[in-house]
Amino acid sequence: MSHADPLLRADLASLLPELLLGGFAILVLLGDALAPSLRRLWLPLSAAATVAVALLIAAPGWASPSSFGGFIEWTPVTFFLAEIVLLSAALCLLASQAYLRREGLGTGEYAALLLWCTVGLLFLARATELLTLFIALELLSFCLYALAAYHRRLAMATEAGVKYFLMGAFVSAFVLLGVALLYGETGTTRLRGIAEALAGGSGSSVVVTLGFLLLICGFGFKMAVVPFHAWSPDTYQGAPSPFVAFLSVAPKAASALVLVRLLGTVASAQVGHNWSQLIALLAVLSMVGGNLLALVQKDLKRMLAYSGIAHMGYLLIPLVSVGHDALPPVLVYLLAYALMNAGAFAVVALLFARAGEQHLIAELSGWGYRFPFLGLCLTVSMLSLAGIPPTLGFVGKYLVFFHAIQHGHVTLALVGIAASLVGAVYYLRVVYVLYMKPEVQAPGPLLIDFWGRLAVLAAAAGTLVLGVWPGGLLDWLARAIGAP
Amino acid sequence: MSTFLYLFTHDTLTLVVFFPALAVVPLLFFPARAQGAIKVYTLLATLGELALGGWYLLSRAAPGAAFPFVRELGLDGQPISWIARWGIRYELAIDGISMPLVALTLVLMPLVILGSWKGIDKHWRAYGAAMLLLTTGMLGVFLAFDLFLFYVFWELVLVPMYLIIGIWGGDRRIYAALKFFLYTMAGSLPMLVALLWLGWRQHETTGQWSFAYADLLQLSLPLQPQLWLFAAFGLAFAIKVPMFPLHTWLPDAHVEAPTGGSVVLAGVLLKLGTYGFLRIGFPLFPQAAHRLGKPLVVLALVGILYGALVAWVQTDMKKLVAYSSVAHLGFVMLGLLAFDLVAWQGALLQMVNHGLSTGALFLLVGMLYDRRHTKKFDEFGGLAKVMPVFAFFLVFSSLASVGLPMLNGFVGEFLILVGSFKSEAADLRWAAVAATFGVVLAAVYLLKMLYLTLWGPITRKENEGLRDLSVREVLTLTPLCVLMLWIGVAPALFLAPSTPHLQQLLATVRARIDGDQGERVARSGRGPLHQSAPMAPAVASGSGAGAGIVPARVPRSKTAAAAGAHGPGAVPAPAPPGAAP
Repeated sequence: MSHADPLLRADLASLLPELLLGGFAILVLLGDALAPSLRRLWLPLSAAATVAVALLIAAPGWASPSSFGGFIEWTPVTFFLAEIVLLSAALCLLASQAYLRREGLGTGEYAALLLWCTVGLLFLARATELLTLFIALELLSFCLYALAAYHRRLAMATEAGVKYFLMGAFVSAFVLLGVALLYGETGTTRLRGIAEALAGGSGSSVVVTLGFLLLICGFGFKMAVVPFHAWSPDTYQGAPSPFVAFLSVAPKAASALVLVRLLGTVASAQVGHNWSQLIALLAVLSMVGGNLLALVQKDLKRMLAYSGIAHMGYLLIPLVSVGHDALPPVLVYLLAYALMNAGAFAVVALLFARAGEQHLIAELSGWGYRFPFLGLCLTVSMLSLAGIPPTLGFVGKYLVFFHAIQHGHVTLALVGIAASLVGAVYYLRVVYVLYMKPEVQAPGPLLIDFWGRLAVLAAAAGTLVLGVWPGGLLDWLARAIGAP
Repeated sequence: MSTFLYLFTHDTLTLVVFFPALAVVPLLFFPARAQGAIKVYTLLATLGELALGGWYLLSRAAPGAAFPFVRELGLDGQPISWIARWGIRYELAIDGISMPLVALTLVLMPLVILGSWKGIDKHWRAYGAAMLLLTTGMLGVFLAFDLFLFYVFWELVLVPMYLIIGIWGGDRRIYAALKFFLYTMAGSLPMLVALLWLGWRQHETTGQWSFAYADLLQLSLPLQPQLWLFAAFGLAFAIKVPMFPLHTWLPDAHVEAPTGGSVVLAGVLLKLGTYGFLRIGFPLFPQAAHRLGKPLVVLALVGILYGALVAWVQTDMKKLVAYSSVAHLGFVMLGLLAFDLVAWQGALLQMVNHGLSTGALFLLVGMLYDRRHTKKFDEFGGLAKVMPVFAFFLVFSSLASVGLPMLNGFVGEFLILVGSFKSEAADLRWAAVAATFGVVLAAVYLLKMLYLTLWGPITRKENEGLRDLSVREVLTLTPLCVLMLWIGVAPALFLAPSTPHLQQLLATVRARIDGDQGERVARSGRGPLHQSAPMAPAVASGSGAGAGIVPARVPRSKTAAAAGAHGPGAVPAPAPPGAAP
């Protein structure tokens, strides 16, 4: 026993961020019940907690690279991804304050659910074993379903939650079946073990291929790539806008990392030859489909939903030839996407006062002059989403296309380029509406609070500053991951 | 950090480029309603920029001598790294080729602000910010010597111009702004892919990441990729120029843009395209440029003649001037495609000339528009009687644009025509002859404009009481007209700073073209394609390229320069002033 104790302690210590956040969420819930008068504090406090955890995990050597017998890992990649998740959680929490106050909704549960969801995402990013992965997926999914339907007086929010839940439940079953198939063929649920078993030639290739396909479906669903995207516009439209700042970013980021792991396993095992064609197909479908569908949207949230689908398409480009050097483009792209998308949704949350109604782009007509600060930040987000320098969105696109060219996928890069040209049209439409149309209606009573402004500013400033000086970020990634 | 501080506190290109962008920051703190203060501040900022940049240029220039090649280095004397990982540098440099265009930009911007004084009636804070950011972008394009940096500045220009057309433009401004943006973006995205490919190729060849212009010049590519790359870069540049048939965004953008926007668009933005061809397109992909030269010449010719004919039939003054831009830029392209020193000299000068005279014409149209809110010819007539000062400036600028001897347009067009007629690298006699008709047509449509607006009886009652130009307006136009006259009278002074650099660039381009031609001839076994095509590349191109109009005090070692020394870094330091003929 004395032998086991220190091991267990080390294992638990490596779960520090998850334990802290989960525990803090419980405290918030208790505090909300005991001292309802403090309800205005929960969101900023939770945001502060995520920031504190984000700083804590940046300290070197606090966790062992591998714990719980190798089920949970802590590498520079997971660290970077954890930072993206925590960042989007903090932005979402800050931006939610005004929304929840305006709509008269409770803050304690909201904060707690979001923190637990973050915990699930951290697990998802760190898990190297399929069942752990599945449990993490369930933990985060349930919180997401609840949060999507959080505005319970609105039929639209309920619709959003139910739609997301029904499809999500199916997909969970897919993932579980995929895990089962892989376990049946290889006798293990660890990714590394599976890779070794497959390399050793065990397992029927049909069943293994099917298993991986099911898993890819599952995480493709969370990433909302075409053809698993149908839930996202409806869910985004009905869910609380500030929460979409999180929903549209963090689960996608963690799922993308899982996808990288799965594809890495497949590639090392060399089962099936057409994985890269499959991913290329998904990428093209998402880029083209997402951008074309976004083009015809009148509702800003739906437009951003389709634009998010298109962005996941760009993100898949480096995964077509997955290898060590695919990680920096993916991670930088995810960071860029997190900042610009969360920034955009935070502005949406502040500027559209009537939840449950459409968020028409035309409503923003001329507001660029009425709200110079928010207008400017939204413009920065849009330009970054369109991939125009000097923003981080451009750096991300640059890395993705560069990776494609280095690996000889020039056609894919050209498709991406053509798709981004289409994308520029609808991103610019927002800028055009903000500054070039005369104001058609004065805004209703808006609540634009300090925390919301802070979130918007942080996102826009991050997009710009990292866009102008990406050198440090790239250097760090190269050093940490050891990629060129 | 210390390099950063150093760059912004000394007499550097960085300060010249980024001063306008920095000047935007205080602008944000002006109350939006203080229009007057904002106007004055913006004007002062552009004047400050002119003083700063003017000081930078004048302190390094010597009359009649080559402008030195100056590279911006860090405190440690090394090129400044921007994104070290990918070998991307923050590399600014200036030489005789970019200097005239930088000077043009610096001179035009305060005049643009003065010219917008009355015409822009809303959101002055945003207007000033957009103009200042635009200045930074344009200067950056002319001064970037790292292709990645070039691309970033190239795109940076796009957004402010989009806003300027879209916010302060005419009735169809949204359509025009979007068309402008999408056209440019459609060109620049393939350029990005080509750029990435080029960087990758550089890495494959040398094992080092670099997007530096000087490094990429050393890369000798096979013809096939060259053709693709030239097509991608050329598309971006040709859209910007704009070359027929990619010009259709231009009339819309010009007509809808506010006066200031039109002036910047015609004065500087179009030159980004021709400058791109001259600086990047031809030197990096010489063989491809030469192979595709004939079709491009045809397009340039079509641009000259078609632009002129379409300008002729316009009923709107601004549209007429806009189409005249298509024709004038066609001349510039013809000159560039001749691969001849004289033609290149003319082309570079003509870029500046067009910026001055067309800029002035747009300002004049804008002044008329401020008074009458129309630009149609049939609304005017006999204005010379009520607005003699206006008439003087309109006649002066039109004549400069037509190419009257003693004014600037003549020098540029003459050099282009002579250069392309005698060019050894490209057989362009027919093109030069055809282009001459363009000069005649220019006289036709511009004189038509003068006739319809200025002369004859006053046909409209409203025109009888029109005020003549105010002091502000005269101040706006005078510098442009002085420069037009000065260039026309003493062109040598303006040609000299750039000649050695053009010669140098031409020599490297010609050496590789001739090498390619020799190879082609050897392979096909036929006779030389051009009678005068020199067979011994290095020596012959050295002498061929050396036949400039202005006796250039350059390198004694012409052949050496032509044979091996590539890149701007190889341009020899100019002789000390006073050692000249």
